[in-house]
Amino acid sequence: MAVAAFAAAVLFAGCAQDAPQDTFQPKGPNARTIDDVQRPLFYVAGIVGLIVFAVIGYSIIRFKDRGQDMPEQTHGKTWLEVTLTVIPAVILAGVAIPTVAAVFDLDDKSNECVINVTGQQWWWEYDYSGTCGGVEITQPIVTSGELVIPADTPVLLRITSRDVIHSYWIPALNGKRDAVPGRLQTLRMEADEPGIYTGQCTEFCGLSHARMRQAAVALSTADFQTWVTNQLAAYVAPEAGTLAATGEGTFVNQCSRCHQVNGLVAADGTPVLAEPDLYVVAGAAPNLTNLMTRTAIAGWTFDLLTDACREQLWNASPEEFGSLYLQGVWMNSGPDATKPVCFAEATLRDWLRDPAAMKPNYASPDQVASTGGLTRGMPNLNLTEDQIDQLIAFLLERK
Amino acid sequence: MFTTGSKMFLGATTLSVVAAVVFAASQGGAVGLMSTVGLVTAVIIFAFLAGINFFTRDGNTPSMQQGVEQTSSAAQAPVGRSMWPLGAAVGIGGLIVGAVSKPVVFKVSVVVLLAAIVEWMVQGWSERASADHRYNANVRSRMLNALEFPILATIGAGAVVYAFSRVLLTANPDAGRWIFVVIGALVVTGGFLLAGGRTTPKGTVAAICTISAVALMGVGVASAISGQRTIHPHPVIDDPSQKALCLEGGEGEVDEHASQDVSLKSSVVANIYLQEDGDLVALINGYSGIEYHELTVPRSARLGVIFHNDSGEAQRLTGRFGTFPDQPEAVSCTTAVHPGKSAYLGFEIPKTNAASSTPLEFIVPGVDGATIQIVVP
Ligand code: HEC
Ligand SMILES: [Cu+2]
Repeated sequence: MAVAAFAAAVLFAGCAQDAPQDTFQPKGPNARTIDDVQRPLFYVAGIVGLIVFAVIGYSIIRFKDRGQDMPEQTHGKTWLEVTLTVIPAVILAGVAIPTVAAVFDLDDKSNECVINVTGQQWWWEYDYSGTCGGVEITQPIVTSGELVIPADTPVLLRITSRDVIHSYWIPALNGKRDAVPGRLQTLRMEADEPGIYTGQCTEFCGLSHARMRQAAVALSTADFQTWVTNQLAAYVAPEAGTLAATGEGTFVNQCSRCHQVNGLVAADGTPVLAEPDLYVVAGAAPNLTNLMTRTAIAGWTFDLLTDACREQLWNASPEEFGSLYLQGVWMNSGPDATKPVCFAEATLRDWLRDPAAMKPNYASPDQVASTGGLTRGMPNLNLTEDQIDQLIAFLLERK
Repeated sequence: MFTTGSKMFLGATTLSVVAAVVFAASQGGAVGLMSTVGLVTAVIIFAFLAGINFFTRDGNTPSMQQGVEQTSSAAQAPVGRSMWPLGAAVGIGGLIVGAVSKPVVFKVSVVVLLAAIVEWMVQGWSERASADHRYNANVRSRMLNALEFPILATIGAGAVVYAFSRVLLTANPDAGRWIFVVIGALVVTGGFLLAGGRTTPKGTVAAICTISAVALMGVGVASAISGQRTIHPHPVIDDPSQKALCLEGGEGEVDEHASQDVSLKSSVVANIYLQEDGDLVALINGYSGIEYHELTVPRSARLGVIFHNDSGEAQRLTGRFGTFPDQPEAVSCTTAVHPGKSAYLGFEIPKTNAASSTPLEFIVPGVDGATIQIVVP
């Protein structure tokens, strides 16, 4: 009895209610195409499995050794062998037809948006250009972690890697695709409705593989237009004399060698250009131009939103979702707020204080000897609390 | 008369003498002299060891005992004739020749020597395993076949593959394709028929296999002798301005050995076509039909494009990948590509366009307007 109860408990624990990465809950046409194949197959295979187990169980019990006579021993039974070959062959052929059809379906070429997706230890970078869902993207947009796409629009991802093999996977929207260095592979995606669809790197890629997550955020076309316009808005320097203005200087000194903030200019008026190729093994660090428009950082692992606001955003109806998302950490803050209510400041503080403490990496001086000083992940910059205050003030304006 | 051990050393002595003579006759200069000195030294040492072994009857008996050269076990006729002492001698001689000539001779000799020693040991042991010769032969096979079969099979298969590869290198590429298809089909059908006909005698199968293998090797040897086909020579573009970007001095080609038949069809940033009208366009996988004149590629990622020359004359694609502080302009080119052929061009751009003092673009030098902008965000 107790065993049965335990087994049942284990079994039902598998049926999580709130499971955003459930492959059996497709939220877009590509994922549905796959689901339409896998679901019937799963049921049929399940029934076949049950029958097999039942027959085995029956045989075990029925033909248990009770001292009865040895049954007659025979060799070969052609009709049985033929049957047992033909039935699986027919089943496999039956499986092959919808599978191959689905493969071709998934290759539908009507994309309306092309996005480059580049993996590295241990986060994803996206860059956009051209037009996307009818929205003109006049300058390249570079973001990380969160893939923002127009809902109800076929999107073509062009996936590659800067270091080791990773794998891009948003279960609700499509299957996975490996990101292989030196190769660029495509994956199509489309979300039915605005919302947030999570996923994670599914190819073991080193120390912080478990903290290499990602999400696709689908917005209505109008909201996507707003997002694009905001991403492309010219850089607004912090007001002179504010903490953020000091933070800008600190950022240029401490962070700009790795992180790009588009539009940032040095004291002499020349653009400040990041050179992560000189400091990071992968040759890239997240672009922070619009950091505050993301809801999580560092491989989309640590929330920039407080728990309550995160709940609110994730549970929002498709109609409300877009406007909440576009407000981001400024959600619920009211028009005149100086500090955003939803901002999980501690997350960002902790990150700046010591990234490796939150997310294991290879960035301390003794760990980078073998790579000629290049890091995997962000090093601890030994910032003072004052510098962190300034940087937070500066970064809060990158929205 | 001769004991087993002394036979080996006598063999090694003889081989060293031969090697010393060959070296002295054929190699001049300091190397020849040193080698000959080394080999003569080896002759002396082996002769000495052979003498000692002979005198002590391989150390199996007290040498002063009367009549021992007839009675000691080492003096008894072996059960069968053993070729392994000879093998070991060849190995040792080879080691020495290899040490002064080519490393490959040395390596092969090590293998020969090891094989001979193992075979010799096991044979020696098995011959005294029992009084029953048949049983002894049987234990020998049981131990050694596990070693011999895979190695001989590898050598056999290797010889067949090598011979076949010579054939393919000699035949012209189109014929090669068909030779491959036909031989493959023959092997499969033959195997199928033999497996199906349960009564085919073992001898027939062995004969067919042997004849085929020997025939193949014969043709392979003939092909090797007649030499490889000439690999299609590259076109040469005479206009020096065309080469200026990639080739210092305008001589030669970027990659003399490029096959111009690209097998990698997928997973590139774009397929770039130089069209008949001189327009250069990029097509990306998964989005056919759209001709791009601008490509966005991620920074710091090793990627590539395939260049297809659909124009009427040989052309090369040139990638200008930016001039970054303190560095010369990064340029790379495909080799000159025949009309209708293609070539791969790999690249990695570490910084954004904004950091470059020259434009980032793909061009075909000498073809006006054949340009695709590269955007690195
Ligand atoms: C040596 C290069 C380097 C320097 C210097 C550096 N970072 Fe980073 N930073 C990184 C890398 C690499 C990541 C990605 C780490 C990960 O996700 O594992 C990162 C991630 C971040 C993130 C998360 C961004 C996202 O979208 O996921 C923030 C925020 C950040 N850094 C802020 C800063 C600030 C502020 C400074 C200056 C005090 C700074 N970094 C200095 C390399 C650097
Ligand atoms: Cu990964």
